[in-house]
Amino acid sequence: MRQANRTAILFLIPALAVITAILLFPVVQTLALSFGRDTTSMLRDYEFAGLANYRRLLDTPRFVTSVLNTLFFTVVTVPVELILGLGLALVLNRRLPAQGLVRMAVLFPWALPTALNALMWRWMFNADYGLFNAALTGTGIVEPINWLGSIPLAMYSMMFVSIWKTSSFIALLLLAGLQAIPHDIYEAAEMDGVTAWSKLRYITLPLLQPAILVAVLLRTMDAMRAFELPFNLTDGGPLTSTETLSLYAYRAIFQYVDFNLGSAAIIVQFVIIMIIAGAYLITLRRDSYA
Amino acid sequence: MRDPVPARPAAPPPGRRSRSRSGRASGRGRLGLYLLVAGTVFVSFFPTVWLFLTSIKSQAQIYAWPVEFWPSPATLENYREIFQVSTELVRYIVNSFVVASGMTFMILAVGGLAAYSLARFDYRGRFAVLTGILAVSMFPPLALLPALFDLFLEIGLLNTYIGLILAHTGLYLPMAVWILSNFYKTIPRELEDAARMDGASFLRIFWSVILPLSRPGLIATGLIVFIMSWNEFPLALVLMTDNAMRTAPVGISLFPGEFSFPWEIISAATILAIVPIMVISAIFQDRIIGGLTAGSSK
Repeated sequence: MRQANRTAILFLIPALAVITAILLFPVVQTLALSFGRDTTSMLRDYEFAGLANYRRLLDTPRFVTSVLNTLFFTVVTVPVELILGLGLALVLNRRLPAQGLVRMAVLFPWALPTALNALMWRWMFNADYGLFNAALTGTGIVEPINWLGSIPLAMYSMMFVSIWKTSSFIALLLLAGLQAIPHDIYEAAEMDGVTAWSKLRYITLPLLQPAILVAVLLRTMDAMRAFELPFNLTDGGPLTSTETLSLYAYRAIFQYVDFNLGSAAIIVQFVIIMIIAGAYLITLRRDSYA
Repeated sequence: MRDPVPARPAAPPPGRRSRSRSGRASGRGRLGLYLLVAGTVFVSFFPTVWLFLTSIKSQAQIYAWPVEFWPSPATLENYREIFQVSTELVRYIVNSFVVASGMTFMILAVGGLAAYSLARFDYRGRFAVLTGILAVSMFPPLALLPALFDLFLEIGLLNTYIGLILAHTGLYLPMAVWILSNFYKTIPRELEDAARMDGASFLRIFWSVILPLSRPGLIATGLIVFIMSWNEFPLALVLMTDNAMRTAPVGISLFPGEFSFPWEIISAATILAIVPIMVISAIFQDRIIGGLTAGSSK
């Protein structure tokens, strides 16, 4: 048995080493940076500066805007994606023709790089040569619309792309949950003459609740760290109307070369995401013992 | 994006054998259902189809007003331009291949061992390690950025394949360990016990009993992390600052145009960069969906 234990730990060591070096150490260092003073080398001459960087953040309107943008983006997209994803999952749960094609279509938006998805949509949203304006103005009634270049439309366009990309992913998650619901429950309900709506309301949704919660938490974390979507779709603009927290932090660090301020912004995001992650862990654990 | 659901025990991929439980819809209901499905398929593929149509148009046609919907005539000029003039775009795709393949290999080797250890052995702290791994799998990549950039700059890993491979390995390893350890739990123990009785060493059991049995799990996990590395943006953006080392999503996004964004080249390059992902997800859709959703709900 001792032999077995040693092997088990030996097998674990490479993974723990990688996780420590690439995940834990950098996060700790980012945390340290967020409390540090501006110095030439972060690794060698560290100076503690207390909460100075966080105070500076609060005095930076652009940071506050980016937080509000991120929250607005998350609060709108996640519920819409959930509703569309649920509808899609209910449809996919029926017997359909061309199953392979349909599943491919559902997987497709998720599988493509978000950065390149953003480019595709940017091209269709293009004010001068884009498909949408071509289709709209072709009718002769509507003036060309500046989808990505006007406030607040750019934000709505960005939300639209995000919803396009992730609704089907949520559908995949919920579909797995739907298929785990025993059929007899529905059969019993049908014998009692229960309407389709009641079946959805009183059987499907309650039993699907754990899957829904998991999907919502995962998507919320994901929306909170949106980076390449604004980077490639709108570049955070016009002005800073679509600048997310991630994009702001990236710019603070790599464009304004303020590692300490950027790190503080990153830690704010990190804390928010890990709170959601904690809720997710508790959910998983509760379900697996339920 | 880092979506896959760290999963509880593997379930069969959804969709394949879904027996309709309300398959007795009326004729009109059926028609509505089909229209809905057709609409979903259309919406999902449309942006890519439109980009493809753009990529086989001439420059004059792309910037024509009113917009010309169909390429007439279709041309491969933009693709030729990529392979003959803007060859850095080909380089980006090669870079993505090197990084994603190297990382997939690393993750399966390191993650496979760890997942096996966590799924098969009983030791103190096992549960804590599993929970910890699940927790770090949700670290936002941005939290690693300033420190990794600084560290890689210091030790010379910036603009190297091995650097980005390591970074992506760290980023996606926890999720892979989680998926794989749930997979290992579904493999019956008896075979290993039998081999152990015959006096085989752990490494030998792992190699000739576990590995063959775990192939489906390794393939599914490998495909998922390959796609994720291929698509990853923030780390690839920051850790590869040298133009020649950029990965496909970053290189294409930052591709400079003389006057404005050169959509004729960008469209063709984007199509080339997503073909590998399209092929992979078309061939292995069952495995990928199974791996992604395995046990995310009971």
